[in-house]
Amino acid sequence: MKWPSSKLGYTVAGMTVLAAVLVPFVLMGLFTKGFTKLGLHVDEMYSGGPTVRTIQEDGYTVTIHKAVYPHLLQTEKPFVQLDWKPVNALPQHVSDAVDVDGDGQPDVRVSFDVPKDPKTPLRADVDALNPRYQAMRNVGKRKFSELIVRVDDAILVRIPLTGR
Amino acid sequence: MADAVCAGLAGKTPPRTWSRALLLTLPIALWSLFMAMRGLMQPERSLQIASGLTAALMVVLFYMMMKTSSTYRWRRWFFVALGVLFPIGFIHNVMVLRGSMGIPIEEMIAGRTPFCFLPIPLLILPAALTKTLVFPGSLLPGGGMAGAGMAAMAGLWLAITLVVGKGWCSYACFFGGIEEGMAALPKKAQWKKLDPRLRLVPWAVLLAMALLSLALFEPAYCLWLCPFKAVSEYVAARNTVGLVQNGIFVVLFGALVIVLPVLTKKRTQCTFLCPFGAFQSIFNKTSVFDIKIDRTVCSPCVLCQKSCPTMSLTDESIKKGETLMSCMKCGACVDACPKGAAVWHIRGTQVAVKPERARLMFLYAAWAMAAMFGGSIITQGLATILQRVI
Repeated sequence: MKWPSSKLGYTVAGMTVLAAVLVPFVLMGLFTKGFTKLGLHVDEMYSGGPTVRTIQEDGYTVTIHKAVYPHLLQTEKPFVQLDWKPVNALPQHVSDAVDVDGDGQPDVRVSFDVPKDPKTPLRADVDALNPRYQAMRNVGKRKFSELIVRVDDAILVRIPLTGR
Repeated sequence: MADAVCAGLAGKTPPRTWSRALLLTLPIALWSLFMAMRGLMQPERSLQIASGLTAALMVVLFYMMMKTSSTYRWRRWFFVALGVLFPIGFIHNVMVLRGSMGIPIEEMIAGRTPFCFLPIPLLILPAALTKTLVFPGSLLPGGGMAGAGMAAMAGLWLAITLVVGKGWCSYACFFGGIEEGMAALPKKAQWKKLDPRLRLVPWAVLLAMALLSLALFEPAYCLWLCPFKAVSEYVAARNTVGLVQNGIFVVLFGALVIVLPVLTKKRTQCTFLCPFGAFQSIFNKTSVFDIKIDRTVCSPCVLCQKSCPTMSLTDESIKKGETLMSCMKCGACVDACPKGAAVWHIRGTQVAVKPERARLMFLYAAWAMAAMFGGSIITQGLATILQRVI
């Protein structure tokens, strides 16, 4: 009675050793590909959400992202992310009125200095021209939902939504 | 057999001749050389030397396992080297790329946070319910410290887990080596009476952190409890909360990875905190390899119980002839048993019938994974040191 289960045990053990040999050549790639096909995405609180549209300014663009809302008990406010890029095409001081929701009317005026040294901390002022957006004064990078940062060749500003 | 009878150790395999040990080492020698080829072909001399040294280390340790028929003490050399060299290579890379061990918010937004295997179980619930990965990394290669991305780490973890199950904690984890090294320092444990209920804490941490990660949509363990943040990377403190978080990392690292292993001779972080280890225990049930206690020859002297670094043997489990599901197949109990009652085993086969065959099959699989994954990390750490020396 023991023989079939013993045979099965050794067969599975042998297959495990074979699987070990296949890990770097086949299995790892197969599982990695399978993982990417699950349709997972990084939380938008980090990535900033998908792009909605791009506004062409004088030599640079302002990219508007879809509004991001916190999940469950996430301790951040809902926000919208705007990207100014490329950084080297930006003037020394940016002060743009941006139509975030695409209704033809400007919703916020965002102002910030563009220092030449990329390591210099950024500060932004945001005037809310639409009550849906929260005004910010001299904001740095305190929270994911309320910040200005330089990421690679873009300056990102995240403006909290007021819920109105 | 005659040697075994002479030694009076029914289940113990006698030491092999050097030629037979060498023959058994040959497949691992070829594998290690193959794994080292990428480094050997690089133009940097430090990387070439590091790759060669790593391959040699893996081969010599496996040879000694074959020659002496002892597993734990040779595996420990590899594991401690892995645990010590990982932070050296990692911190050096972080400092070169970023200039600080703290991850700035810009790097998180850019998806360049390095992803290790520890948060994997905590990402499952949010991913299953909302298809969202609550980690500021990249799914695919994201540049900088992001390395190959979360998908590659998940694929690697799944593949190695398929092969070694909970053995991940003994042959692949690049954190556990530090505490195993600390636990090896004293000759005797100062604290011998440890409450066995503490073994349940990692399960509680796993449950709490998984639920918190779902509720707060953030990798709660990485932000609040991971002791290894002290020797890798952490969220750059922007406020008091950040300072408290970093303080917790340092205290937990000092207590669970440095002080308690010295006092108890146990892997205390793995035994009393690690939620990944608890999660990985589930895969002990799917692995074909396990450790059994041959009740026909067991006295019981409980030396196996004393030697187990994760308290995975209890009086009850010894009576049943098996280990608890937290057993990470390090081989300490098998080496410690004076009667050869603790044996390597393949599920479905009879206990203590050809245990050396079970050990060999497991070690070929586990050492292949160790040389592939751990070997590349050891190489990186060694190369970092050699860059400074050469």
